[in-house]
Amino acid sequence: MAPLTPYTFFQCPCSEPSTLGRPADGSSGAGAGAEPDADDEDRAFDPRAPRSNYSLYPLEYLLYCEDCQQIRCPRCVAEEIVTFYCPCCLFEVPSSNLKSEGNRCTRSCFQCPVCIGPLATTSLESHPDPNLLAAPDNSAAPHSGPYILTCSYCNWSSTEIGIKFDKSNGIHAQLAKLRNGGTTRLTAKERKERRKDLLQGGGPATRTAEAAVDGRDLDVDTQFANLKAFYQNQLADSSSGGNGLSSLGDMGFASPSSLSRIMSIYTGGSLHDKRSKLRIGTMREALDSDEGLKIANLDESGAIEKLQEEGYDATVSAEQISNQTPNLGEAPLHGRGRFTSELRPIPYLLRTKRSKRCPICRHIISKPEAKVQATRFRIRLVAGSYIPSITIRPLNTPEASPGAPSDTLQPLKPVQFLLTFKNPIFETVKVTLATPAKTPGRFASKVTVLCPQFEIDANTDVWDEALKDGDKDKRRRRGEDGPHQAEAGKIWERGRNWVSLVIEVVPASLRLDLLALTNPTGGQEVDTGPLREDEDLLEIPMFVRVEWEADAAGDEIGSAPNKDKEGREKRELAYWCVLGLGRVSQS
Amino acid sequence: MASATGPPTTLPHRSVANIRSPPAAGYHGPSSGPSTPLRPITSAFASPSSLRAEEDLIIIEFGTRKLQVGFAGDAAPRGSIWFGPDHQRRVGDFRAWQTDYHDDWRKAAAGKPWGRDHELWQSDVRGLDLGLVGDKIERALRDAFSRYLLIDSRPRRVVCVLPSDLPIPLLSTALDSLFNRFQSPTVSLLSSPVASAVAAGMRSALVVDLGWSETVVTAVYEYREVNCGRTIRGGRMLVEQTHNLLAKHLPQARKETEAAHDSQQAQDYALSFEECDEITTRMVWCKPYHAATTTVTQTAEGLPTVQEHDESDARGYSTSGKAATATIPLKSAKPPTSLNLPYDLLTEPCENTFFDSRYSQSSFDDHELPVYLLVYRNLLNLPLDVRAICMSRIIFTGGCTGVLGLRKRIFDEVSHLIQQRGWDSVQGKATEQLRSNLKLNRSTRQASTGPTDAASQAGGSSGGGGGGEEQDGVWHDAANNTPEVDPIDEQLKRGGDKRPRVQGQMRALESLGAWTGASMISHLKTPAIATIGRDLWLQQGAAGASKASDVDPKTQQRQSLGAGGLIRGAAASSAWTLGVWGAN
Repeated sequence: MAPLTPYTFFQCPCSEPSTLGRPADGSSGAGAGAEPDADDEDRAFDPRAPRSNYSLYPLEYLLYCEDCQQIRCPRCVAEEIVTFYCPCCLFEVPSSNLKSEGNRCTRSCFQCPVCIGPLATTSLESHPDPNLLAAPDNSAAPHSGPYILTCSYCNWSSTEIGIKFDKSNGIHAQLAKLRNGGTTRLTAKERKERRKDLLQGGGPATRTAEAAVDGRDLDVDTQFANLKAFYQNQLADSSSGGNGLSSLGDMGFASPSSLSRIMSIYTGGSLHDKRSKLRIGTMREALDSDEGLKIANLDESGAIEKLQEEGYDATVSAEQISNQTPNLGEAPLHGRGRFTSELRPIPYLLRTKRSKRCPICRHIISKPEAKVQATRFRIRLVAGSYIPSITIRPLNTPEASPGAPSDTLQPLKPVQFLLTFKNPIFETVKVTLATPAKTPGRFASKVTVLCPQFEIDANTDVWDEALKDGDKDKRRRRGEDGPHQAEAGKIWERGRNWVSLVIEVVPASLRLDLLALTNPTGGQEVDTGPLREDEDLLEIPMFVRVEWEADAAGDEIGSAPNKDKEGREKRELAYWCVLGLGRVSQS
Repeated sequence: MASATGPPTTLPHRSVANIRSPPAAGYHGPSSGPSTPLRPITSAFASPSSLRAEEDLIIIEFGTRKLQVGFAGDAAPRGSIWFGPDHQRRVGDFRAWQTDYHDDWRKAAAGKPWGRDHELWQSDVRGLDLGLVGDKIERALRDAFSRYLLIDSRPRRVVCVLPSDLPIPLLSTALDSLFNRFQSPTVSLLSSPVASAVAAGMRSALVVDLGWSETVVTAVYEYREVNCGRTIRGGRMLVEQTHNLLAKHLPQARKETEAAHDSQQAQDYALSFEECDEITTRMVWCKPYHAATTTVTQTAEGLPTVQEHDESDARGYSTSGKAATATIPLKSAKPPTSLNLPYDLLTEPCENTFFDSRYSQSSFDDHELPVYLLVYRNLLNLPLDVRAICMSRIIFTGGCTGVLGLRKRIFDEVSHLIQQRGWDSVQGKATEQLRSNLKLNRSTRQASTGPTDAASQAGGSSGGGGGGEEQDGVWHDAANNTPEVDPIDEQLKRGGDKRPRVQGQMRALESLGAWTGASMISHLKTPAIATIGRDLWLQQGAAGASKASDVDPKTQQRQSLGAGGLIRGAAASSAWTLGVWGAN
């Protein structure tokens, strides 16, 4: 595993009640070693519980609502769409098109079905005519032949699925009419005509045979359209008899999961009502392919033979299949979807630019520029400029042995880390930290924060500090005075708007045989399963509480010198975060 | 919020096809003459501008392994989200992109049940962390909404398609997520077998859902689920069987003793789930039905290749007589290798999973019946006329329909079983003797091929036995008797179709799938029985649901027909139901 740089994750307070306050309904299986039914307020956040993965974010992903003074994560913002656009051609799609044309680019933007690279439309000219090159007049229209889509990355081309295009533009529309292999889809009109021909040609015997054939190539789109038309007809027919309202009325059924409307038509109306009796009928079933009925074609021997002939390489991977869009121009594929010959170019999914609002006060907290090409934001209140950031680095005391690998932590050997809190706001903040003495999980490491309470100076102008440098000089240079020890209750170092302090950790031993000895759980079964993923990671849950005083209503920056107590109010912010310190060595 | 949205029928928007009068008289039987077409009842206060947002009703189909989302009225879902370990990481955790990460699957999968993190939920909720399920649903939906549906986070009405045997805790978790996190004003529930039947254009069907954790056979009659049977023989078992097959043929596994392999205690997986899953979808196929194969026992592990070649030659499936082998690269094996397996061996997982013909049919427990037996028993359990209808409307759905040849095989096995046994729930040596004994057989029925046979036999035997009787001095003959007029039958027949309903013969139909069925149902503005309002759910939770029979649909209808919110105030206190899901 790659060496791990220390990291921090923040938990958005929005997920806290659900994470902690879930009733104990059998969730004990998830967090191994979680104390059952501890008081909710006492229970420490467990970064290893699978649920915590859904509430932790790096600081960069978090936003901040100034009015509610609360962190806002992607789960707790209300989104509004600014623009829809195609990520390939950057064309801005009007939102009205979305309903009719779907969520994919309907121009000529396609992804390769094999490697998802972009496909280019090229002319299929196997033998470039030398005369053509010689004559300069003709060079204006050299690409005349059929066109294909090619991938410049993996050399896939649409000839592999037997598809060529007549025109070089509007590929999406052309592709929709083509089936793999190059045959065109039957339109509804053609289908009807063909049917008529066959009906005139033969008796009932050929008619049934024809129906089977006709049903066989009934593609998804047509089947759906036929079914829809059929149902609408039936509904209109069967409910036009009654006065509409009564047919919706009598339904005292205990019928589970029934479609009450259709049910009501079935029993609907009143039986003694002569008029309605004449008219009302049940909705019948679809009877032929014009009504959307399709007899399943169970014979897949052709596909099996193909599988045997062409083998593993003719099939597509699970990832490629999952990237495919449902092919509406084809009958349901079932197993045949596995062949490379059934792949279709993937039209690009459209994307959106979204502005974000606080769900409570409806203030905008992030708003991108509407132009597709622009990457700027008009408004963006990132949490990083409101809450102190935390950076971690190992504290290399001189007596640390140089031979030890720096990227893993030795079990049962105390290590010290330096946490640096940096204050982004223009007020002095008071920070209170809390960690559980032992990290949750099977392998409990001991954690001591040497200075859990401290103040960070305001993020003042850089020049201010440079000008009144004198008195802070002593504190800042303390590191150079000599090998000074980390002392409990004292911070390590302080700067203009930052403070660093020491956290001492005794990593747990990852030996499974020691697990039962070190955890005196008193009768409880000790989980001695194998080491799970990331269980060797030393992650410390830490509760951070930030307090500061700010101007109450108007943020008048100019009136700072006269510190009017009435004009200022106390604010606080509290959240969990997770410090990832490193991996514990397993040897 | 409640005022902005209404129950399904308040929707003023209708497609043009509905507003027009029924087209082309004679197209669907007798048209009912000139009549005012059905008008949608518009809510008085809804302004057209508010329609846009209401228009897109979202259909969500929950499966064990994936989630499909789209808008009502579409032929196919706009996107599907597969659950997997990559979906469960922290935001900003990009380890999946590290080059060596996927090679190190052993570490990632250690200590967890093999492949379980590819599932959204298990129907055994005892050890399940419901909060985690809720988180998974939320993240998947959020992802689907923003990536595939491209919608903002305005509250929208939702229709959920769910398997009808979903446990209430899971259902309520899903509803919690929808109501709390997505603020949906109403959620309607539809059961997937019924939706599948609708998507095939049928009122009744036998839906064989070859799903991931289970195969569920549901008989739907007139849009009601009348019978349901389940077996654990589904996709998960298929993938496990594929793993066992591949692991058995790994070079290092061959050296190990068979005894060690058989011990189920040491469930060491030699291959990653992802790879086995992929090989299952790529390479596994199913042998066609062959009368002899049902009795062939594959006991010896090393031997069956020879035996099977003969069979395959006989069926002409092996190309040009030579032993066709498939080369399967295995990246997750240690060391990476590639296997050469005969194609016939690749049918083994499917064979073991869905048919298991090694054992006698009486040796299975109720939860592990082979699929064809389950289908047969389900048909057998149905009443005669329902059976006749259902057997000619068999619908295969679910992920395992992708196994080549599986549908036909199940279909053929069931047909064979019906031919062999008829519709007789008693079986065994004694019945065989009885059947073969011609003397005894004459008066009883022969091995019937369809349920209608049995019906006519039953009717015929009584008529033939009596031969007719005299009543009131008039000779009543069964043959000349005019049948009694059944008003309900009459009404059923008046459906307008001259053509008879297909029944009594085995027939498989193609369905567009449960999602599409739900899309169709919602598009046609058919209100579901189980429609849950957000306020009521937040107040009462699952415990507040009444039984489906206790809910007066009239109130709901009135609520939907009443102009604006005038009656809604009264209706808000009315009972609501979870439909099938709340039955227990």
